[in-house]
Amino acid sequence: MKALGGAEAADSTHPPPRVYKPEMPRGWWLRQRHYFLYIIREFTALPMALWLLWLLYEIQRASNGPKGYYPPSSPAFIVFSIIVLAFALYHTYTFLSLAGVIIHIKGVPSRLIVLSQFAAWLVASAVIAAVLIGFAR
Amino acid sequence: MAEKRITVRATRFDPAKDKAPRLQSYDIPFADESMVVLDALNHIKAHVDGSLSYRWSCRMGICGSCGMMINGIPKLTCNAFLRDYWPRSITVEPLNNFPIVRDLVIDMEDFMHKLKSIKPWIIRKQEYPLGAGEHRQTMDQIDEFRQFSECINCMLCYAACPVYGLNNEFLGPAATALARRYDLDSRDQGIKERLPVLANSEGVWECSFVGECSVVCPKGVDPAKAIQQTKLDTTMRFVLPYGNREE
Ligand code: SF4
Ligand code: FES
Repeated sequence: MKALGGAEAADSTHPPPRVYKPEMPRGWWLRQRHYFLYIIREFTALPMALWLLWLLYEIQRASNGPKGYYPPSSPAFIVFSIIVLAFALYHTYTFLSLAGVIIHIKGVPSRLIVLSQFAAWLVASAVIAAVLIGFAR
Repeated sequence: MAEKRITVRATRFDPAKDKAPRLQSYDIPFADESMVVLDALNHIKAHVDGSLSYRWSCRMGICGSCGMMINGIPKLTCNAFLRDYWPRSITVEPLNNFPIVRDLVIDMEDFMHKLKSIKPWIIRKQEYPLGAGEHRQTMDQIDEFRQFSECINCMLCYAACPVYGLNNEFLGPAATALARRYDLDSRDQGIKERLPVLANSEGVWECSFVGECSVVCPKGVDPAKAIQQTKLDTTMRFVLPYGNREE
């Protein structure tokens, strides 16, 4: 608890009122669906970062050429990758949906803006997939 | 037929006596369908316990002073109908994330300070002499900022914002919406004076987009939108070579 009060109120005849400062309860994010989804969205960044660090490590391992390089293929890694993919998709979905809120063009409905973001995402993914498959050949 | 009744639990806190707030239960008549939570509080004050303290004024969703937590959700009590809760009971608490002065009354000093910090008035580089006439504005120019000017300073958005709850330094939703209201006003030239407060680390960048502020806003202001747009704006001003242009 802390004593606060307006500077104006703090003269000698009126000492600043004692106030009660509530703390946020630890489980605040479990109290509402919206808060919960928000925390999940923020949390997904952590496994995604781990997966990307792993990717960097694999790239470094593969830099000596294909000889002696075996990509990770344990079931545990595949399961982890699938979970991270789901997280990444959820993250992307929430991020691209935001475009409708942020970008403001006169006469263009926000749904169209969001749709264009998703379209751009699909095109970019297709191009990257094509390049990767091309390299693999 | 027996009289319809409803149970209202309200936070009580007397700074002279109590260490911490507690809930007190009142069983009151639910006399007519148009009763709102504020009517219930007024009934308690008039007929049961005159010492119950809370703020209100207009009783019509305009003054913004009657905001409280109703069953955990920030709402204007003059706009929350008992019929939407009955036969469940209602728990009325002071707005989350603010210090409690007494019962349902919170200390809004911090919010007032934040409002002032974004200079919510029209700033001109050079004032026209009065004789030069009014500043004209087209309907389109008004539409640019109208939504953000609907704010009634009820602070429900601050009570809904866990980022503000965790870090009181955060400028917060309504203050940013109001800053945007003036930044988008064709008569205003003060954006550079507001930017240091907005682009500060405790400004818009503290927001991680929970989005609940816009859900609870009773006036459709959409402060979350104002914050995200300000993020884009400040970034553009930073990265584009002409971004810092005078306007
Ligand atoms: S933005 Fe909405 S919720 Fe926040 S103070 Fe203004 S009217 Fe209230
Ligand atoms: S009493 Fe004025 S907004 Fe509720």
